[in-house]
Amino acid sequence: MISLGLIPLFPLLGCIILGAIAVISAGSKKGPAEGFVGTLAVLFPALSFAGVALLSLNMPEGGIRETLCNWIDIPMFRVDIGFLFDGLSRIMLLFVTGIGSLIALYSIGYMHGDRGFARYFAYINLFLFSMIVLVLSDNLLLTFLGWEGVGLCSYLLIGFWNKDIKNCHAANKAFIVNRVGDIGFLLGMLCLVTIGGSAILNYDVLTNFISMVISGNHVDLVIPVLSIAGILFFIGCTGKSAQIPLLTWLPDAMAGPTPVSALIHAATMVTSGVYLLARLGSMFALLPVVLDIIVVVGMLTAFWAAVAGLFQNDIKKVLAYSTISQLGYMFMASGVCAFDASIFHVFTHAFFKAALFLGAGAVIHALSGEQDMRKMGGLLKKTPVTACVMIFAFLAIVGFPGFSGFWSKDLILEKIFMSGTMGQAVYVVGLITAVITAVYMGRLIILTFFGSYRGSKESEEHIHEAPAVMLIPMVILAFGAVFAGYLWADSIGIKFFAETLAPVVGAAQAYNTPAVVAHVNPVVFAALGTVAALLGMFIAYKIYANARIPAAKGSSAPEGGKATWTFLFDSIHKYVGIIPVNVLAWICDVVVDKILAAAQWTIGAIATILGDGAASFQVRKVRLQIALSILGLVALLAIVILTGGTL
Amino acid sequence: MLLHLLVLAPFVAAILMVMTSKEDSKSSSRLAILMGIGFTAMSVALIAGGSVSTDAVEWFQIPGCKGPVYYYLTSHGLASWMVFLSSGLSLVSLISARGITCRSYRNFAIGIFSLMGAMNGTFLAADAVLFFFFFEAMVIPAAVLIAGFGGKDRMKAAMTFAIYTLVGSAPMMVALWYILTIADNSTLISIAVAVQGLPEATQNVLLVCFLLAFLVKTPIFPFHGWQAITYAEAPAPLSAILTGAMSKAGVFGFIVWILPIFPLSMNAVSCMMWLGLLTAVYGALMALRATDGKKLLAFSSMGHLGLAVAGVFSLSEAMLPAVLVLLVAHGISAGAQFYLMGIAERMAGTRELDKLGGLSSKNPVFSTLFGFAGVMALAVPGTAGFVGEFSVLLTLWDMGPLPALVAGFTLILSAAYMLRFIQKVIFGKQAREYEEGRRTMPLEGVSIAVMLLLLLVFGFHPAYVTDSLNETEVTEDPAAAQVLNSAALNNGEAPMTAEEIHQLDSTLAAAGFKDDERASIIAQMKGDASADAKSEKSVKEASDAK
Repeated sequence: MISLGLIPLFPLLGCIILGAIAVISAGSKKGPAEGFVGTLAVLFPALSFAGVALLSLNMPEGGIRETLCNWIDIPMFRVDIGFLFDGLSRIMLLFVTGIGSLIALYSIGYMHGDRGFARYFAYINLFLFSMIVLVLSDNLLLTFLGWEGVGLCSYLLIGFWNKDIKNCHAANKAFIVNRVGDIGFLLGMLCLVTIGGSAILNYDVLTNFISMVISGNHVDLVIPVLSIAGILFFIGCTGKSAQIPLLTWLPDAMAGPTPVSALIHAATMVTSGVYLLARLGSMFALLPVVLDIIVVVGMLTAFWAAVAGLFQNDIKKVLAYSTISQLGYMFMASGVCAFDASIFHVFTHAFFKAALFLGAGAVIHALSGEQDMRKMGGLLKKTPVTACVMIFAFLAIVGFPGFSGFWSKDLILEKIFMSGTMGQAVYVVGLITAVITAVYMGRLIILTFFGSYRGSKESEEHIHEAPAVMLIPMVILAFGAVFAGYLWADSIGIKFFAETLAPVVGAAQAYNTPAVVAHVNPVVFAALGTVAALLGMFIAYKIYANARIPAAKGSSAPEGGKATWTFLFDSIHKYVGIIPVNVLAWICDVVVDKILAAAQWTIGAIATILGDGAASFQVRKVRLQIALSILGLVALLAIVILTGGTL
Repeated sequence: MLLHLLVLAPFVAAILMVMTSKEDSKSSSRLAILMGIGFTAMSVALIAGGSVSTDAVEWFQIPGCKGPVYYYLTSHGLASWMVFLSSGLSLVSLISARGITCRSYRNFAIGIFSLMGAMNGTFLAADAVLFFFFFEAMVIPAAVLIAGFGGKDRMKAAMTFAIYTLVGSAPMMVALWYILTIADNSTLISIAVAVQGLPEATQNVLLVCFLLAFLVKTPIFPFHGWQAITYAEAPAPLSAILTGAMSKAGVFGFIVWILPIFPLSMNAVSCMMWLGLLTAVYGALMALRATDGKKLLAFSSMGHLGLAVAGVFSLSEAMLPAVLVLLVAHGISAGAQFYLMGIAERMAGTRELDKLGGLSSKNPVFSTLFGFAGVMALAVPGTAGFVGEFSVLLTLWDMGPLPALVAGFTLILSAAYMLRFIQKVIFGKQAREYEEGRRTMPLEGVSIAVMLLLLLVFGFHPAYVTDSLNETEVTEDPAAAQVLNSAALNNGEAPMTAEEIHQLDSTLAAAGFKDDERASIIAQMKGDASADAKSEKSVKEASDAK
């Protein structure tokens, strides 16, 4: 059996080696050999995937626990570096390292010829290290290390092409908005420490604590503090997983290279919020108020982002809003304590969204950097493999029967409906959102692959299918997009996925099972979901198939009312966050600091004036000098005697 | 012996430097760097060796005072780490300064060595007068260096710096003299005993006088008027020492000279904590608006030290290790950032953020270091800064959610200004053609890289730093007996209040007692005293923590 520590170690080694290559070769004109760098870049994630696969096959029922060493040990606070490999981290690790390796492979083709080739892969490996630590850690503080680590890598990769200042702004925004969430996470940990000491940060200890609380009937006692902790953690999740209100950074994050968007901003990092909710499931299960907040936030996010997705012209922006919307579904599931369903959607989403992004990347690559869908069209014949991959992934995301999204999305909607009266209202919104999803995704597919090419004549000549190194990962992911759903296909009796997660989240879900379960035939949900998907596709076909697409002019950003809707939260941030801070900073800089400087100056001036006055005594009048000296001596003596000193 | 060497040998080194050639900066720089390495090695040995004290040698007698002033040095975990900062940063400064002061490197080195000696003396002094002597002595070489090697406004900066800090500590001198007329001698313990016996009003006046000196030195809002201009105008290697080591003397003073001496009221404590937090927010906000790279770093330092001071006055049990890690992390990372900013200034000929940019394509090695240092300053987990800031947040959380929330807010702001700083300096396109300045020199780059590696090491294994606090030998420590005696005297007269016990607890904590020892002392204290519920709780907490 291999040590758990090896799994994060591989990408870390990769990062160090590639980073060293990048720095050493920075001075040379040509840069390092791409073949060599690319091999290393894929090798380390692949080794880690192999390790995970090996461990997964031999995992005992209860999971593997391993404590490496002590991390922080101060009075009141002691945390170890330890790893926990159980049903939940197994699933997450399998697709993180698996998709990570595939996307590293794809990047070799996509980043070909870029001057920062080695640097790019160093960042990717660092990201995988952080993501693995996030998922594999056995306590919250170490998870937080991964949590900020992935945020840092996301910053580095969004701003990868740092010559363009716009990319840097997008990167800064991503980091700062995430920081807001991270502070929530941090304070949440402190909140937990208050009730249980630092040991409670360990997941096992936390779970035991919760079960003790339940068995001792002390639930009401701990709910106030736990609710605060829960809300703080949820703020952390909204930051990382781009939910209302901290979602503005994700669309901007599309400034990074497309494989990065696929890996970080679709498949893995943004789902870590959902992972955290599931990991802390036993705690959240106790907190009905927090759960309700999560459901509502997830529902609003899913709906808002789906509508915003309709308005985008940039192919990557559509996918970004679609990611936010799908994350909303996952949060809705978490909010009704269906953690297995939310993780299942994370799993299937990772495949079809990564496939969509990689496909979009291939399209952008084929069109030499064009991202505006109004300048695409008719690419089905020119890039058939890419088109097929994207169409399969499209069918998965809209929930076409048999494809992976069908199983996971319908499962979520079913669980929501079953959760109670509020759930039924949420279900309706979820279903409407599913229709809109099919519309905007249909629009994307139609505008990109059907109709006739709308770009310039010269550019049409250069359109080419992506190289094999890019196509292979796409095809593999497309397979996943089609078949990943069969790990938990309720209607045909497969429950493998639910069973592997049961030891981790089962107790939490059992605690929150509604007392009265409405009896609805599951086929009804499947049918309704299918109708929603078909309806959406039909609408998209009606509107966009024969519509005249307005010629692209200027930027690809939406305009008018569409822009208001799209940038709603950007403007809220502006008025709630940025402007107050700037005003405060202005007050400090221009008002307070100047007043202090004036006070300082006044004191200095008074001292100078007094000094000048005293200097006038310094004249050559011997008698006056002597008189003053005697006076001073008397005064000194008087002070010493009066204060009780002896001579 | 080590202590004597660390305090006195730098002055000898300064004299040695006088004898080197003024023209041949190469040979003098070699000698200086060799000696710098020696001092750094000694400071590491000091950390590794645990607590030591020298014999108290009678130095001189102040007229009107009861006892003599001793030349008496002692080291404990906190002090030896501060000495490490001062000698380590001086070494890197000596290396880095080769790039900017080719003309009179010798004179620069003389100044750095005298500054180092004064700083080491400040951190190691066990005698209040000796401490004050070195505390003031630090200012002089620093001011001379600023005046000699600074930027355009150097004379103004040097004057502001010298006058502001000297005036700030003048009240402390008077207060110290007053206390010495009462105390048996000028060691910490007898001063503490003397102050305990004074009426409360007098205590408060003395406290304010002492506080003022440290508030100015740190600096804490609203006494930061000298800081920005000084750090900006000083040559970058000196700014690194000023913020990395010298400013720590303020925080060090709070921990070592305020907490044990004065029985702080709850009001004073929370007032100081809020002042620290206010400084943290203020520094971060000012950094957001700064247009000068070095001023931005100056305000960022101010913010971090504000957080450290807030942590000190949380008086929580984890305060000392938390603040120590924060100080070490800040010393190294802020120092590295100043060195790097100095290189950027050297290369681009300006430190205006709007005129910088695009250095990443011009000098990738430099910008890798620069970006790395910036990320370290953000307190990303895995770096020492995170351990420090997180544990300080933990101690603040003890005081209530609001202080922790404010501290959290400053963390967000720090991300905002630091990222803006990184972006303005190394990313984007070059604002204009830079005249070819001296690029990063290999030795300079390596030494900064070592600093950054240290941050990572301490981030993953902070025990290297915090363990030094546990090694304090207490069995033969006269401090314990004295505190016990003085407390016992109090005990005879009136039962100790919860506040006094809390105070005693923090005194003992600052003197380096372990939890169980503190608990037993406190238990002893309230053995016959009718202790109220709160003191019982504090004892219980102490024993729980053990």
